[in-house]
Amino acid sequence: MKIVKIPIEMIAFFSKKGIPHPLKFKISGTGDGPPTIVKINMIIHMETEKTAGNTMYVFRCQSTINDVLKVYEIKYELSTCKWFVYKI
Amino acid sequence: MYKMIFHIDVNSAFLSWEAANRIQHGEKHDIREIPCVVGGDSKSRRGIVLAKSIPAKAYNITTGESLFTAKKKCPVLKIVPPDYDLYTRASKALFDMIKTVAPSVQIYSIDECFADFSSIPGIEETYMAIAKNLKDMINNELGFTVNIGISENKLLAKMASDFKKPDRIHTLFPHEIEKKMWPLKAGELFMVGKSTTRKLERMGIMTIGDIAHTDKEILKGYFKKHGETIWRYANGIEDSEVERPAEIKGIGNSTTLPFDVEDYETAHRVLLSLCEMTGMRMRQAKKMGKVFSVSIKNNDFISYSHQQKIFHPTDSTSEIYAIAKKLFDQAWQGEPLRLLGLRISDLCPCENLQLSFFDSDSSERERSLDKAVDQIREKYGLYSITRSSFLESGLKPVSGGVHSDYKMVSSHL
Repeated sequence: MKIVKIPIEMIAFFSKKGIPHPLKFKISGTGDGPPTIVKINMIIHMETEKTAGNTMYVFRCQSTINDVLKVYEIKYELSTCKWFVYKI
Repeated sequence: MYKMIFHIDVNSAFLSWEAANRIQHGEKHDIREIPCVVGGDSKSRRGIVLAKSIPAKAYNITTGESLFTAKKKCPVLKIVPPDYDLYTRASKALFDMIKTVAPSVQIYSIDECFADFSSIPGIEETYMAIAKNLKDMINNELGFTVNIGISENKLLAKMASDFKKPDRIHTLFPHEIEKKMWPLKAGELFMVGKSTTRKLERMGIMTIGDIAHTDKEILKGYFKKHGETIWRYANGIEDSEVERPAEIKGIGNSTTLPFDVEDYETAHRVLLSLCEMTGMRMRQAKKMGKVFSVSIKNNDFISYSHQQKIFHPTDSTSEIYAIAKKLFDQAWQGEPLRLLGLRISDLCPCENLQLSFFDSDSSERERSLDKAVDQIREKYGLYSITRSSFLESGLKPVSGGVHSDYKMVSSHL
């Protein structure tokens, strides 16, 4: 996997405990290309990161993107409520 | 009881926090591994090095020097602007983590603290394991490294954490003073600054060991009370408690101006914006002050100040401004100004205020006005209510200071 840091638009649900569960997201296409919608098939594991006091939820996920099964990492930053693909 | 004090100090704090934060956000390069400094914005002339990476240190770049000279020493130097919100957050996360393992913690500055482990049974055998665990936990979970100094008192623990960096644990117990501390240069001792070092050198005192072996009375004769303090420190004698809240001796603010000020009107406005901040802090601390000092730095970097003691203590913004303005008018020699500062000392608690015969009728109204303004600013932000004289002036209506949660370093252990 390579570090990419691409901001994404996410549809997720939040559990009663306040933990986000990502479902699917939209990633902008390169150049003028159309955006891609990615459905998250499986969350392999989730962990909380507190680097320099900044809390982020890190999800390692698996999806089929353009007919290829891919494993990647997405992050949710608590302080800004932003999602991004961290590694793919 | 066996005393066991840790001093925990973040290695190149601002830079480490920036680096950890950038890596968390997907930056591929670690700015700790390239020549890099955290520095103010050189366009608004706050251009000094606040923290440097270890590769930047190899270019002889020092903290506090201007970004211009730093860039000259290393043309490929990367400069990142400071982010005080990030530092406050990182600092809080660090202290919260230390508080989970240490029985008592004294926050000493934004990036260092003392922790007292004396009450833990069997600490004299387990201190190294605890320190190692803590250091690794900070690195793994928060993403930055610290130095830990261990000893029987705060002074020796602080001296120990300053030994070789980064990511180290050092001990400096009393029996190790002779070997580890005495060979160091006198200037490395806590509370020995540049001018004391110069004076000591003139007396032939070069190392901390030399200070320790000098007759206490001789040092007292030269440096008064400070002489005794440094003699005690050189011998490792210090017995203050961890978690003792430091007493505020003075409150002040200063600001480096974005342009040179050459007229009274603008200078007075800058002073007023400083008075707004200082006055607000005085009232927050519930203190009133009697000694007022205005400091000036001109465009040749020459600094001078002027002070006055008044009979009746005050915390009112308009009274502070009136005094500051008078002091400034008496002191300023008319040259272009680069920095203005205001400091109020000789503080007393404002609860038992002695009323003055000479109070103007309006002082009670002034007090309630200040209170109302403070409350509005606390609720809606610093710039939610400002004086109309600042409109279109290009000056900040409240200036000085960094962040309300920001812990500044003090000279008291």
